[in-house]
Amino acid sequence: MVFYILRRLLFLPLALFGVSLLVFTMIGFLSPYQRLATFINNPERLKGENVDKLISQYGLDDPIFIQYLRWLKNVFRGNLGWSYVGKGPVFEVILERFPYTLELTIFSVIPIIFLGISLGVISALHHNRVVDHALRIFAVVGWSFPDFVFGLMVLMVFYSALGWFPPGNLSIWAETVVKSPVFRHITGMLTFDALLNGRLDIFWDALRHLLGPIFTLTYVELAFILRITRSSMLEVLQRDYVRTARAKGLSEKVVINKHARRNALIPVATVSGQTVVGLLAGTVIVETIFNRTGLGSFMALAAQQLDYASIMGGTLFFGLILILGNLCVDVSYAFIDPRVRLE
Amino acid sequence: MLQKNLLEVRDLRVYFYSDEKRELKAVDGVSFSVGKGETLALVGESGCGKSVTSMAILRLVDSKGKITGGEVIFDGQNLLLLPESRMREIRGKDIAMIFQEPASALNPVYTIGEQILEAIMLHQKLSPSRAKEVALEMLRLVGIPEPEKRLNEYPHELSGGMKQRAMIAMALSCRPQLLIADEPTTSLDVTIQAQILELIRELQKKLGMALILITHDLGIVADMAERVVVMYAGKVVEEGNRFEIFKNPFHPYTVGLLRSIPRLDVERKKLDTIPGVVPEPSSFPVGCRFRGRCNFETGECVQEPPRTSLSNTHAVYCHHWEKVRDSNAEVLKECRAQ
Repeated sequence: MVFYILRRLLFLPLALFGVSLLVFTMIGFLSPYQRLATFINNPERLKGENVDKLISQYGLDDPIFIQYLRWLKNVFRGNLGWSYVGKGPVFEVILERFPYTLELTIFSVIPIIFLGISLGVISALHHNRVVDHALRIFAVVGWSFPDFVFGLMVLMVFYSALGWFPPGNLSIWAETVVKSPVFRHITGMLTFDALLNGRLDIFWDALRHLLGPIFTLTYVELAFILRITRSSMLEVLQRDYVRTARAKGLSEKVVINKHARRNALIPVATVSGQTVVGLLAGTVIVETIFNRTGLGSFMALAAQQLDYASIMGGTLFFGLILILGNLCVDVSYAFIDPRVRLE
Repeated sequence: MLQKNLLEVRDLRVYFYSDEKRELKAVDGVSFSVGKGETLALVGESGCGKSVTSMAILRLVDSKGKITGGEVIFDGQNLLLLPESRMREIRGKDIAMIFQEPASALNPVYTIGEQILEAIMLHQKLSPSRAKEVALEMLRLVGIPEPEKRLNEYPHELSGGMKQRAMIAMALSCRPQLLIADEPTTSLDVTIQAQILELIRELQKKLGMALILITHDLGIVADMAERVVVMYAGKVVEEGNRFEIFKNPFHPYTVGLLRSIPRLDVERKKLDTIPGVVPEPSSFPVGCRFRGRCNFETGECVQEPPRTSLSNTHAVYCHHWEKVRDSNAEVLKECRAQ
C-alpha cells in the first residue's frame, strides 16, 4: 500500500508538468500584444514604439517554449509570478483564498453525503412507491438545475425576499473585527477561526453567509449521490448474500443496515470522493454568484482579466488537488472493499 | 404418522404478481413431508418452482411473490401463521439453508468469522469468546484447514469449495433440525462436488438433522436421497422413495428425466431428451402442465390429473400412468433382448 502511494506520488510532478504545458500552450495562442496588455495598467504606455520595446523587454516575442522554460525556471525557484488580480504573489494569494473554498466545501459535503446516502437508501427501500417517486423527482430536478440558475433562485428567495442568507463572506461589522489585529487567523477559515477566537457572533455571521452557497451546492450535488446510492442499493438488495443474511434469521434492519448498505456504499464512496474534489476545484460559479472571496471566484476574475500568472498558478494548484484527491479516493477503496488490493 | 414428520408442506401455493397484475402460479398446490433425520430430494428442471418452494418454507419469497395458500407445519406449528419475530428465531436456528453459489451467497465485505459468529451470537446466548470457539469448531468440522487463519479471511480469499464449506459451517453452527440445500454443488468442480456431498451426508448423520436437497442432478439424488419429490411447472408430478422413482417411474416426465442421464450400462446411440422447454408460468397449460411435451397426451389431459397412490410412499399425478408403466416394461424387454 505504501509502495502504491509512493509510486502514485512519483507520477505527480509528471501530471502537473502536463497540465502546465497544456495551459501554457493555450496562453500561447494570444498575440504578444494581447499579452502585453495584461502587464500594463496605464494605457498611456501602450503607444507607438514603446509597445515593441516592452514586448522585447518582457520577452513576449520569444518562441513559446523559451517563454515556457523561463516560467518553469521561476516555478522551481518557488516563484509563481505576481498576481495582478490578487495584488500579491500568486502563491500567497492562493494560500490566502483557498481556505475560504475549503470551508465552503467542508460545510457542503456533510449534508451532500449524509442526505444523499440516507435519501438514496430510503428511495431504494420504497422502490417504485410514492416515496421513491417523490425522491426521484426531487433528485432529477436538482440534477437538472445548472448551479448558476439555482444559485440565483436561492439568492432571489432567501436574500432578496426573505433576507436570510446574505451574499459575501461576512457582514461589514464582522469584517472590521476580523481585519483588526486582535483577531488571530489560524486556519484561514472564518467559522473555525471565529470559534478559536471565542467569537460566537462572528461564527454565526460567517455561517449565515455560507448558508446560501451550501444550500445551492447541496441540492445540485445531492441528487448525484442519491441516485447512485439508490441504484446501488437496489442492485445489492437482489444479491444472494442478502438472502443468506435473511435466511440466518437476522432482522430486516440488520440485513439492510449491515449487509446491504455496506456493499451498496462502495460505488457511492467513489462518487463522494469525486464530489469533494470537484467542489474544491469547482465552486467558481457559486462563489461568483454569492460574491464570496475564494479560490473559485479568484480564478474566474483572473481568467476575465487575462492574469496569466494567476491562471497558471491556480491551474497547477487545482491539478494538484485533483490528483491528490483521486489518490485519496483510490486508497480509501482498499479500506472499504476488502477485495481491492493496491499494488 | 403426523408425529414422525418434522416438516409437512400441504397444498402450498406461491403466486407471483407481474407488473401487469397477472397471477403467475410458480408453486401451485405442492405437498410433501420430511421425517426427522430423513433426506428428501426435490427434483426438477430450472423454473419448476423447487427453489421458490424452499424459500417459501422459510417465508423468504421475494417481494413480488406471495404465499397465497397452504400450510407449512414444522415441528407441530404452522410457520405461515407465525409472527415475523418468531419466524426469525426459526430461520438459521431450526431451519438453515445453503445456496448454489457460495461465491455470491457470502457477503464480500465481512470476514468468514464475522459471518459465522453473527449467526451463532444471534441464536445462542454465548459470550463472544465462547461463540468464537464454536465457530472454530464448526470450521474444523467441515474440514477447513487452519481455521484460526480462515476466520479472519474474506470470502474472496477462499476457493469455491472452501467457501461452500464455510457456508455449511455457518448454516450448521446452530445445529438446525432441518437443512435446506439448494443446488449446493452445482457451481463446483466435480471432484469438489463429491467432497461437499460426502461432507453434508456425514454431518447429517452426526447432527441427526433432516435434509431437503434441491437439485436437478439425478446422480446426486440416487446417491443421497431416501425419498424423492419430482416437480414440474410448480406442481408435484410424482413422489416416492428412491427405489420406486428410479426403478418404476410412472410419470412421463420422471421417465424423461431418467432417460436423459448418460449411462454406462445401457448402450444408446443418442442421449434422450425431453422435447421443448418448461413453459413460462404465464402460459402454463390447463390440466396436466406437462401435456405439451408429453408423448402420452390425449384429450383427457386437459383435466387436472388425479393422484394415484401406488404404495405407502409412491404416488403419481398422471391420467396415463398405466400406459407409461407398460411402455417402461417394453423398453426394458428390448434392452434385455439386445
